[in-house]
Amino acid sequence: MICLWQEFLNIIPPWLRREMGIQEQQRLQELRLRVGAPPELNYGQKSLWLNKIISQEDVAFCVNSASQYSPWASETVAQGYLAAPGGHRVGLCGQGIVRQGVLTGLRDISSVCIRVARDFPGAAEGIHDTGSILILGAPGWGKTTLLRDLIRKRAGRECVCVVDERGELFPEALPRGKRMDVMRGVPKQEGMEMALRTMGPDCIAVDEITSQEDCSAILHANGCGVSLLATAHAGSLEDYLSRKVYAPLIQGDVFDRIIQLRRDKSFREERVVS
Amino acid sequence: MVIGGCGGFGLTLAAGEKREIQMLRQLMAVLEEMEWELQYQLTPLSGLCRIGAKAAKGRLQRIFLDLAKQLDGRDQAYVSGCMNGLLVQQKNLPRSVRRLLAGLGNSLGRLDLTGQVQGLQAVKAGCARELERLERNRDTRLRSYQTLGLCAGAALAILLV
Repeated sequence: MICLWQEFLNIIPPWLRREMGIQEQQRLQELRLRVGAPPELNYGQKSLWLNKIISQEDVAFCVNSASQYSPWASETVAQGYLAAPGGHRVGLCGQGIVRQGVLTGLRDISSVCIRVARDFPGAAEGIHDTGSILILGAPGWGKTTLLRDLIRKRAGRECVCVVDERGELFPEALPRGKRMDVMRGVPKQEGMEMALRTMGPDCIAVDEITSQEDCSAILHANGCGVSLLATAHAGSLEDYLSRKVYAPLIQGDVFDRIIQLRRDKSFREERVVS
Repeated sequence: MVIGGCGGFGLTLAAGEKREIQMLRQLMAVLEEMEWELQYQLTPLSGLCRIGAKAAKGRLQRIFLDLAKQLDGRDQAYVSGCMNGLLVQQKNLPRSVRRLLAGLGNSLGRLDLTGQVQGLQAVKAGCARELERLERNRDTRLRSYQTLGLCAGAALAILLV
């Protein structure tokens, strides 16, 4: 297991760093900080609250530190999160700034949820790794972790271009595959288009298909003769099949295989029959 | 000796003002570099400070390099905390430069690009105002400092004799 723990510690206030021991390094999944409430350490099945109160300054520390004191460099603030160094994701909650009907940012941030990124090389062992694959799972079930290892495995024999919009898949210190190109911080649609046009990939990998635009980009890439690796939010195969946004992917018969993750991070592989 | 001492004091005042003008000019150049870099590359703040530092020399360069280092170290919640910590360590920094740097510390790390650029521009405008104030009749004033110093020394010497 690889976790860029020091990068995580850098995000949190110095007094809270001292509370983080070996157990947290190995098992902590999320750290939730809410102004006026004690910090919540989430270990997956259980939570632990520390006996201290979070101040506005603590939350500001996390935001400034995760963005390297440069929130302007990250357009994702308006989408409610920051991609911190080390692949950790900082979810933000606060007062929205709306200009001419468009959400342009957040201010007075009152809560942050820091998701600890972990890499498990070998997690994709046993997956039949050919064709286009979609990984399904609810938040926190390990979709990104599995996708990361699947990409590495595939990149051993094929040229894989990763469109890493949030910078979570392959932060700088994580091991990469032999034939892998990573495009970071580029929106999925543009990134896939750029990859197809300039990188000549055998396979394109993207994390978290959530919108119709993402689905259109996937359909377009599928028509260009490349295979695809992707993840989507769905608690079960039935959820996936019933969600309208994914209908074009199902009708277009894009994926050859679907990997269904479970809460305990085990998975089941399904062959898609259209 | 008395004449020399008082003359020296006058010269020190004149040299201090020259140094202040020099630092303000450098600060202006630093801010310009930072503003351009920010608008075109959206460079994170520590990188921005390092780029800005190239436009300065001596103490001002050191301040921006140290600020970049502190930001990388992530020990403070706000940029102003880092900047104020650095300013406390700086003795004999011209008052106008100190005030402008403190203002810069308060303006850095804003939540959006527009706000950040406006913050830099406001500090730049303050810098330009200070420069204008100091450069108005600068030569006459510097000569006056020196002459006053020498005259005061002479008067003191006569009194003592």
